[in-house]
Amino acid sequence: MSSHREAPETAKDPVADSTDVYAFVSPDRPDTVTLIANYIPFQAPDGGPNFYEFGEDVTYDIHVSNKGKGKADVTYRFHFHTKVRNPKTFLYNTGPIGSLSSASWNRPQFYSVTRIRDGKAKVLAERLACPPVNIGPRSTPNYPALAASAVHKIGRRRVFAGQRADAFHVDLGSIFDLGALRPFENLHLIPSAAAAGVNSLQGFNVHSIALQVPITEVSRSGKLPTNVASPGAVIGVWASASRRTSRIFDRKTGEYKHHGPWEQVSRLGNPLFNEVIVPMAEKDAWNAHRPKDDKNYAKFVNHPELAKLLPVLYPGVFPHLASYHKARADLNAILLTGIPSGVVPGFQNYTGPVEADMLRLNLAIPPASSPNPLGLVGGDAAGYPNGRRVDDDVVTIELRAVAGATIPLVDPSYTVDGAAGVVKDGTSNTNTSATDTFPYLGNPGGGYQTEPGSAAV
Amino acid sequence: MAVGTVGLTMGPARAGEAKPAASGARESVVAYVEDHRSGQLRLLVGEREVVVHDRDLVTRILNAAGGK
Repeated sequence: MSSHREAPETAKDPVADSTDVYAFVSPDRPDTVTLIANYIPFQAPDGGPNFYEFGEDVTYDIHVSNKGKGKADVTYRFHFHTKVRNPKTFLYNTGPIGSLSSASWNRPQFYSVTRIRDGKAKVLAERLACPPVNIGPRSTPNYPALAASAVHKIGRRRVFAGQRADAFHVDLGSIFDLGALRPFENLHLIPSAAAAGVNSLQGFNVHSIALQVPITEVSRSGKLPTNVASPGAVIGVWASASRRTSRIFDRKTGEYKHHGPWEQVSRLGNPLFNEVIVPMAEKDAWNAHRPKDDKNYAKFVNHPELAKLLPVLYPGVFPHLASYHKARADLNAILLTGIPSGVVPGFQNYTGPVEADMLRLNLAIPPASSPNPLGLVGGDAAGYPNGRRVDDDVVTIELRAVAGATIPLVDPSYTVDGAAGVVKDGTSNTNTSATDTFPYLGNPGGGYQTEPGSAAV
Repeated sequence: MAVGTVGLTMGPARAGEAKPAASGARESVVAYVEDHRSGQLRLLVGEREVVVHDRDLVTRILNAAGGK
């Protein structure tokens, strides 16, 4: 998964588990950038009566680094508050929810947005309403309109926080069964008949925080970058979640009481970084560290475990990768520093020598008129690893990169294995379609409409 | 599960007993002795952490935690 349940501690704390981060120049408002952070993975839409919601005891941050130091130069902070309108019912809603102010909606959430820049915090908005979750046609009729009414304007900014369809697609069942990659299982060390990939996240929802801000608010110069080659055209983006230091159970109320400062418990920049690069024993500590300290994890990027596993799991399929023992400068550039000028003609998203896991977005590159889900490796410089768009196929991109497809960018003497250019996890994007306008992620699946998955043994 | 409760001081107030300061916390506080060999005490109050270095205070807390 991109970062769903990617570490032992966050797997037990879904409300603070950041699952995906997106950053892209808005296709319909190209003088703005859209930043999205998703949380709470694997939401079965019918999971009532206590449906999914943001944590009141969690600080959600989206960070932007624009000075090349791997530090947050601009942070957008979100705090949530839950209201119980009728304490005498067990129900989430007592009738149809026709609007965000409906008295039938018993448990609405509200939030504040604070911008922290140069150490100064400014509250941009308060008491913004989230939409309800999508329960079904009786409880949340005309859900798309209901969700659209929860898109708020803050000056030239737009913000949304609430349930959406997960846009990430991956075949978890095959990947975590000893690295089987449908439909290539016939080539696996433990072979089986080739089969079509299964999108494990199809039908599941997440909770999204989406923010669209003028590019001039996050760029280094405060102006709209137009020169792709300019170092100041690139920003780094990551999200984090923080909890209070201490949590004590109060047996009188059955609730937890919190004390002490906020401590970061989850973060996410590049998809799959903590998931498949960082060893299990270090994943929790990685979540607590800042990107500026990621040089400590560079050895796992330069010599990734997955690149060693592929030739073992698929005997004879990756012979050149098996014999390549140099540090992976290609992956280091993609994940930790950005790609310098001169590597890909007409492109760069280099942020300097500081190794930091961030999505790097060159703001001077306009949105693609015909986006290619394979992003930069597919010839589309507006996609991953130049930021990340909702429909970018990051599993295929990163899998092929790890398999050696991007080594020649930095080491022309390397011959790419034939399989590296075609390997994938076998899934296609069968998720709810993305929307053309903010917040871009598709509407969440409804509870009533949900059907259970299979339980084959 | 039963929770033991012991007093840090026993009997009537002593001459050196601490008195509430005007700047003292007026809310719940969590005290955390991370290393029993050090004299450091972490106090979590509101959204702050106050680190106190007081061997005597830490010793009295450890004694209380041990039931003495």
